Amino acid sequence: MKLKKEQQLSLYRAMVRIRTFENGVRRLTDEGKIGHVSLSGGGEAVAAAVGTHLNRGDQIGSTHRPLGHLVAKGCDLKHMMAEIAGKATGTNRGKGGAYHIFSPEAGALGANGIVGGSVPMCAGYALANQLRGDGHVSVSYFGEGASNQGGVQETLNLAACWKLPVVFVCENSSPVVQTMLGHEIDYPQLSIDDVSARASAYGMLGSSHPGWDVEEAFKAVGEAVERARKGEGPTLLEFKVHRVEGEESEHCPIRCYREKLMKLGVLTEKLDREIRDREAAAVKEAIDFAVGSPEPELVDAYKNIFAEGAR
Amino acid sequence: MREITYAEAINEAHRFTMRENPEVILFGENVSSNWRAATKGLKEEFGRERVRDAPITETAFIGAGVGAAIAGMRPIVELMLVDFSLVAMDQVLNQMAKTTYMTGGSVNVPMVLRVIYGAGGGNAATHSESLYGLYAHMPGMKIVVPSTPYDAKGLLITAVHDPNPVVFFEHRLLYSARGHVPEEPYEVPFGVANLVREGSDVTVVAVGKMVGEAVKAADELKGRVSVEVLDPRTLVPLDEEAILRSVQKTGRLVVVDEDYERCGFSAEVAAVAAEKGFHSLKAPVSRVANPNVPIPFNRELERHVLPDAEKIVRAIKGVVK
Repeated sequence: MKLKKEQQLSLYRAMVRIRTFENGVRRLTDEGKIGHVSLSGGGEAVAAAVGTHLNRGDQIGSTHRPLGHLVAKGCDLKHMMAEIAGKATGTNRGKGGAYHIFSPEAGALGANGIVGGSVPMCAGYALANQLRGDGHVSVSYFGEGASNQGGVQETLNLAACWKLPVVFVCENSSPVVQTMLGHEIDYPQLSIDDVSARASAYGMLGSSHPGWDVEEAFKAVGEAVERARKGEGPTLLEFKVHRVEGEESEHCPIRCYREKLMKLGVLTEKLDREIRDREAAAVKEAIDFAVGSPEPELVDAYKNIFAEGAR
Repeated sequence: MREITYAEAINEAHRFTMRENPEVILFGENVSSNWRAATKGLKEEFGRERVRDAPITETAFIGAGVGAAIAGMRPIVELMLVDFSLVAMDQVLNQMAKTTYMTGGSVNVPMVLRVIYGAGGGNAATHSESLYGLYAHMPGMKIVVPSTPYDAKGLLITAVHDPNPVVFFEHRLLYSARGHVPEEPYEVPFGVANLVREGSDVTVVAVGKMVGEAVKAADELKGRVSVEVLDPRTLVPLDEEAILRSVQKTGRLVVVDEDYERCGFSAEVAAVAAEKGFHSLKAPVSRVANPNVPIPFNRELERHVLPDAEKIVRAIKGVVK
């Protein structure tokens, strides 16, 4: 599959947007304006690939490292940043925080604070799509740690039994040495090298890919989404992701793609600057919005326990 | 009026809401099978897409219910026994119950989790619990415990129409209980207690199967003690006003609960009376509940720990003496 120049630039822009947004969040943490947030540096290629293939009516379920997924799905940066800061103007009115951002109008049906918690719900989004026959798909993100959770295993089986239009996207962020919370562990948490090996045990297709190669991710996700849209059932994709902060690492997907696009002549220094400046301006606007937004009222603590006047 | 069973009443509520709204779907273990009275015939009428069997994986299919509800469907998810929900606590308590709040109301979860509960069948401690007290403890879910076929039908229709998660408790030993049930659909509102029996000496509050035991106790004491029996029908929301009104009239309160006594429904009702009806009380509140023991398998031991009419009579005599 050969990508068009616009597709390549769109993937690149999406990755830069995610990184720029997360750098903005890190800065706010460093300045003491917000607490710690788990960032997804190194995973931008996976999120950009998924985001590019999904329509607004498609859904994602995410993790406690969700910002890249959410940005790529088209969540509004201002309201996301406000939520991260706990403000009344946040996506969740300040009651969820970064790990629980929901933006139904963008199809972002939720970051989730429980490891593996959103995975069964993604089967439900897919079930709704299947019953409506509208061709929408859901994408369920989780990590290699969550891949061991009973609920994740159960959901792989359920999705296969019900032939649900869902794509399972496992970001394995321990591609070389197994770690937990960034620390090496004495006993492994996976007894296999590739999480995707589990797909065949549930009767679905699965494959593993480098998470720093955005075009390979784009191709793999595209095929899985297409299968799901055609009613051919779920797929388990695994992407090996190296957690990075800057662009020094050879596994930084942004650096890899920039070099490639430069070589191809698709990207120039000038265009790269323009892209980065534009995303930086959007993130600055989001931060200004968040910082300038009001705190929730104390009475808001008592609201939304139950739906008020909902359908 | 015609009489049908509690299970048939539940079946009728499914049939009505599924005819009324194509977004209402049903899934769970064996829901397509004809040996399940509450869901018998639904697959034949509505098809295997809307009435579907799920693998024995409560976390996955309860979670799928939560997701389907968020995505705009109105799932009814059946759990063969409430005890089995314990393997799926994350999806029930974190996801189903909290999502509306945590999203600031940008999504809601219009889902009914139907659970079969109850002791008295000699099924031991993992197949006999009530657990509605545990669920009522957590914010974000409405808790419904019908005691009659009439209430079962009307409350289930209300539950499906409600935009929130509802946990709907069906006592396994009430399934064959018969009662008057109108053929037409109707709602029984949440948070409105049913005054089952009027009386003036003592108020007995009970839900589910214990309502019948309370009525038996009232019958046994007829002519000696005038017993008022009040069935709140829903634990969340709880009709505190009705409880307080009754206690104001009788001055005495006995709470009957098949669930564990500690931190449970019986404690909640007693607390309401103590905090808001203290000056009406002429005697200490008395509770008849499971004395915090897992349900034993042996039928005599099981009977020993479960509330029944005899124990309720004893408790009533204790507060009116």
